[in-house]
Amino acid sequence: MAQNTPAVVMDNGTGYSKLGFAGNDSPSFVFPTAIATKAQGAAGGGTGSGRPAVANKPSYLTGGAGPTGHLSMKRGTEDLDFFIGDEALAAGNGPGYGVHYPIRHGQIENWDHMERFWSNSIFKYLRVEPEDHYFLLTEPPLNPPENRENTAEIMFESFNCAGLYIAVQAVLALAASWTSSKVSDRSLTGTVIDSGDGVTHVIPVAEGYVIGSSIKSIPIAGRDITYFVQSLLRDRGEPDSSLKTAGEIKEEYCYVCPDMVKEFSRYDNDRSRFLKHTITQPGGRQVTVDVGYERFLAPEIFFNPEIYSSDFLTPLPTVVDGVIQSSPIDVRRGLYKNIVLSGGSTLYKDFGRRLQRDIKHLVDARIRASEVRSGGAARSGGLEVQVISHKRQRHGPWFGGSLLGQTPEFRSYCHTKAEYEEIGPSIVRRFALLGGPGGS
Amino acid sequence: MLLLDYQNVLIQSVLTERFSGAPPVNIDQTVSDFDDVAFHISTPEAKTKIVVSISVKCFDELVKYGAQQVLEREYGSYVIPTEAGYNFSVQVDLENLPEDKDARDALIMRISLLKRNAMAAPFEQAFDEYHRMSEEASKFTSEEAPQGIREGGDVMTIHYRDEEAIYIKASHDRVTAIFSMIFREETDRIFGKVFIQEFVDSRRRAIQNAPQVLFRTDPPLELQGVPGVKDSGDGRLSYITFVLFPRHLTNQRREDIISHLQTFRTFLHYHIKASKAYMHSSMRLRSTGLQQVVQKAQPENEKKEKKTASGRTFKIQGN
Repeated sequence: MAQNTPAVVMDNGTGYSKLGFAGNDSPSFVFPTAIATKAQGAAGGGTGSGRPAVANKPSYLTGGAGPTGHLSMKRGTEDLDFFIGDEALAAGNGPGYGVHYPIRHGQIENWDHMERFWSNSIFKYLRVEPEDHYFLLTEPPLNPPENRENTAEIMFESFNCAGLYIAVQAVLALAASWTSSKVSDRSLTGTVIDSGDGVTHVIPVAEGYVIGSSIKSIPIAGRDITYFVQSLLRDRGEPDSSLKTAGEIKEEYCYVCPDMVKEFSRYDNDRSRFLKHTITQPGGRQVTVDVGYERFLAPEIFFNPEIYSSDFLTPLPTVVDGVIQSSPIDVRRGLYKNIVLSGGSTLYKDFGRRLQRDIKHLVDARIRASEVRSGGAARSGGLEVQVISHKRQRHGPWFGGSLLGQTPEFRSYCHTKAEYEEIGPSIVRRFALLGGPGGS
Repeated sequence: MLLLDYQNVLIQSVLTERFSGAPPVNIDQTVSDFDDVAFHISTPEAKTKIVVSISVKCFDELVKYGAQQVLEREYGSYVIPTEAGYNFSVQVDLENLPEDKDARDALIMRISLLKRNAMAAPFEQAFDEYHRMSEEASKFTSEEAPQGIREGGDVMTIHYRDEEAIYIKASHDRVTAIFSMIFREETDRIFGKVFIQEFVDSRRRAIQNAPQVLFRTDPPLELQGVPGVKDSGDGRLSYITFVLFPRHLTNQRREDIISHLQTFRTFLHYHIKASKAYMHSSMRLRSTGLQQVVQKAQPENEKKEKKTASGRTFKIQGN
């Protein structure tokens, strides 16, 4: 039965979860990876008072006698009293519920919450019978294999899903770039720049395998840009400088300029570049905020971090160049040729073009220097640097999963429930590389 | 979440977003639902014309029991010629929506209940048949009732999944719905039995007006002679019978009862999975507790003979 149903693609990130079916061009649901549970008396199942639980109705499902306050002491249907996603945030604002984020830094921290989060995602939102569907999940690079095993235990033992494939987000982001016209060969070698809300990662991938030792992260991402816009608004004394307004301005007006100094003078010569943004405040009052230099200054913190931060000063192009230089020498050419953007903070206009130009400058300067050092004896044929931006950047990893999940051979790459029962959780430590050589 | 929704949340959210006056966009999404139902939301002609198509595995059987009429009654003017590869299609024109917000919401709800309405046909037919027969039967005493009425109507079979089916039979004093059910998983079977036993016992406890539930592993008598009903012999295939009495079959209750019955299998499976999650959570708590105990259980100031480099030992004074 599971042979002709679409595969379910779930990309659970730190901030947002993207859920949908393989073959679609956008995720069906995008909501915060948050779960709101009934606030418990004892703080998170620590030391209880030892009060015995009152079993007010016979239940066949009595758990072990843990400390009070933990879910296992509840004999009713408390374990079903929770919300996920946007509903969780709404419930968290009211009394009685506490919001938890089961994923931290890309990795699942609270398996109890995650199991229930998945249960609700599958049954309430996606509405699929997991026994009838194959699942494609994602994981961050450098995810410990134990986490994979835990995931497999939940997917196979709780949900009995028909088959499971766990892919690395960066590899899926590479696959998503195949839709771009600039990509000629569908290789899984490239550098992924994944910039979400919290952190920006630069991840080199060779033939579908992440080069773990060379990954670099940058503490500048979407949230910092919003804060920066907010601080500029505050400095000018705009009538509304809330984080929400700053976020709207960031998403609507910001772009990347080729040269910061020239851009300033261009603004001073042409007043039409200054815009106005109208906000309706909760009371129904309309407020107008001027939008000026922050249009190009905000994304500029990727390229000149010193204008925003005092403790992190390396520009993004230099970091990317450093990552590729620290990778094995035989894959560097492929890594330079295929730099793929992914995540919401890479969507600024001309972001890719500026990045490509800056990296090219760095590379060319190095080549020229080495030519000079060799005394003119060695001539370089040059090095191709290409940054690929495409339409599916925002949900890149999810889209890559959707693309690979709809291929006919996807199911043969999955581990099935039968295989899991034969071998055990350790089976998910290895997956055949989906979409790699030998695939399509 | 105790009960599952009957409507498809995705269709609901897509339509709500489109109806809210957002700029029209192209939509092309395939959506899945329980029991092998697939939807296709698309905008093939123009961005303002949203087509929702449904494909149900057992649509031929449903049509036999009047699904086409039920769907046409529900969707009336929205019905369009069926999209290729699907069983039924409706189309909404964003430029021609009801003015009233409540009416719009009702329309969204109605479209997201497409699967429920398609599956409702045999139930509705059975309920109607029951009403007809009870009227007939009221003319006779039970002894002298003619053959057709005492026996009740034919058994309607819906093979809604590959191995599982719903059988519905109307009589003059009840409607019987029988679910055949297979658990592929040993653990699920045990959980399932516990849950179903709770259903069976519920009448004995508190809820006197619940429908009677019967559970057995061989085909019930109602299904004798129905083609395709088989006895697996090893207890893998089980049959759950719901007997709906006249008080459940009133017109006010009818819609709810149909929705509840349809989602029964998914409801059961959802709760089996939820209780597994609950068990896992207490298992995790236990194992972290035990781990802490093990970590604390290191022997305190272990006595170990200490040697110098040349192999001589110190004598501890006073011992």
